[in-house]
Amino acid sequence: MPDQASAQAPMSAALRRALLLAPALIFLAVFFVMPLVDNSARSFIAEDGGFTLSRYGAFLTDRFYLGVIAETVILSAVVTAVSVVIAYPVAYVLVRKAGRLSGLIVFLLIAPLLTSIIMRTFGWQVLFARRGLVNQWLVTDLGLLDAPLRWLNTPGLAIAALVHVLVPFAVLSIASVLQGVDRRLEEGALMLGASRFRTFLEVTLPLTTDGIGTGAILVFMIANGSFVTLVLLGGGFQTLPLLIYQQFNTTRDFALASTMSTVLLVIALACLWLQLRLVRRQGV
Amino acid sequence: MKLNRRNFIGTGMAATGLLGLSGLPLRAQGKTLNVTAYGGVWEQAVRDCFVAPFEAKTGATATVSLGGPAQWLAQVEANPEAPPLDVLIMSPDLAVLAAESGLMDDFTVEKLPNLAHIPQEFTDACLGKGTYFDYGVGGITYNKQVVADPPRSFADFVERVAAGEFVASVPSIQYGPTTVFFLWALNNALGGDVENTDPFFEAMAKMKDNLVFWAGPNDFFNHLSSGEADLGIYFDGRTWNHVDEGVDWIDFINPSEGGAMTAVAIQKPKHASDLAWDYLNEVLDAGNQAKFAEILNYGVTNTQVQYSEKLAARVTPLSEAKLPPYADIARVRADWVDRWNREIGM
Repeated sequence: MPDQASAQAPMSAALRRALLLAPALIFLAVFFVMPLVDNSARSFIAEDGGFTLSRYGAFLTDRFYLGVIAETVILSAVVTAVSVVIAYPVAYVLVRKAGRLSGLIVFLLIAPLLTSIIMRTFGWQVLFARRGLVNQWLVTDLGLLDAPLRWLNTPGLAIAALVHVLVPFAVLSIASVLQGVDRRLEEGALMLGASRFRTFLEVTLPLTTDGIGTGAILVFMIANGSFVTLVLLGGGFQTLPLLIYQQFNTTRDFALASTMSTVLLVIALACLWLQLRLVRRQGV
Repeated sequence: MKLNRRNFIGTGMAATGLLGLSGLPLRAQGKTLNVTAYGGVWEQAVRDCFVAPFEAKTGATATVSLGGPAQWLAQVEANPEAPPLDVLIMSPDLAVLAAESGLMDDFTVEKLPNLAHIPQEFTDACLGKGTYFDYGVGGITYNKQVVADPPRSFADFVERVAAGEFVASVPSIQYGPTTVFFLWALNNALGGDVENTDPFFEAMAKMKDNLVFWAGPNDFFNHLSSGEADLGIYFDGRTWNHVDEGVDWIDFINPSEGGAMTAVAIQKPKHASDLAWDYLNEVLDAGNQAKFAEILNYGVTNTQVQYSEKLAARVTPLSEAKLPPYADIARVRADWVDRWNREIGM
């Protein structure tokens, strides 16, 4: 009898684990996996109900759509690179230099996320409008320009606004890994004669690749699907999320929208796989 | 009773189930109608002008679902046998699409006595399966402090924006009605038609250096108030709403060629509650429509409506607006959007 009881114990533990996981898994299956599958399936169903790949054929051989795909990936990559470059020093200061102010810095980083993204984007409009605050400084107050500059609807401002939204994600990812770096390794390098810069390049930076990778993946994925900022600030970008929204909202071509969203999903997964490989290749 | 964990979870689930079911009897009795409205002041106007008299007369209740036509139509398409919505507020082009799909009920005077006072052409425009009850006109809204001599026609607007005299804020293709009240209207004013949109795209190419695009109506107002644009293409009713809110520096001009009438249609999905007819009759009632017009500053379609002096001076008469061929536009809209994407961008 005792043997039987001990045999049952692991079973019940496994069952308990399964039961604990069940709500999350059911939620994901019903509200994420099933709609995703249903959405993708729509792109493979022809008007007569049969199977078709014709939409993908048309979409992936059209130079305009290929340009949109390239623009989506390039925009996300640029936003990711800029975000990581800005985020690393902030994370470094946060972990190594801020001391008691670290809480305040984290709050300042997170505070903008508590504001609606629409409000933040309107803020950019107010600041950078033709007769906005920035142009007023440059033209009227400082007299540096004769005529106001056109900032809105330029690629630079759209990228800046996206970076503003996404930098906190990169900072927090990098900071959490930086916090775990063993300072003795850096001290060892310094004691062996390495300069501070070389110590950073050859010790600290490689040890935080994991955080950089996580932050980059996070930022890339969110930038890849970004919509509101590009709708409101333009920038001349034509990206897949904008086209997908248009197919649902304006032309009601749901099949084409499904095709585009499946392509966007595949691109995102491919980039995720690539970035994970790159991060792992660093040996972290 | 001893309250252990099992009892607690069981009791909780039962209570949740009862709470979830509590809404069902009303629906099953057919005493609750689910109607639709846009958000903001629109919603309140729908509640005050249509829902309240409907509830007073029938004793039934009406819940108001907020959203937009594309979403509502998709909801009905997903479950046409038991539509989750009983009355739809629709854009004219989607109303045609819904009618052609066989999803909507016929509108007749027998079912809707007040339909007798709505111009027949508005019901015809919905293929007999709906009608228009409210309309605005797309024209030129401008900042009076910056633009002393505004363009009075679409043609003048194009020439002067192209020449760099103004920066104009025009609707982007992301905004649903753009194809009608901007693309069709400008194209029509410049000599094009549904089959030939070259005049519109040529005009846009000329103006492109002096254009900014708005993705939603509030966006347009931000462009004007922040100084990003001097004037633009906008709606009469929304302009007057801003004036009533204390914005004294904007004004509206219906272009001499006639701005496009941007109507709001109402429809009843097949298999929706028959109570919807009572509600729709309230929507078409002259008194209720007059009240609705006063709140929203938009024209209404019941010919017996008497506008106040203030509103009469603002509402663009139907005779001075162009009724777009919505059914024809719906047929070519995807091609127009595709051309816009390729030539203008988003």
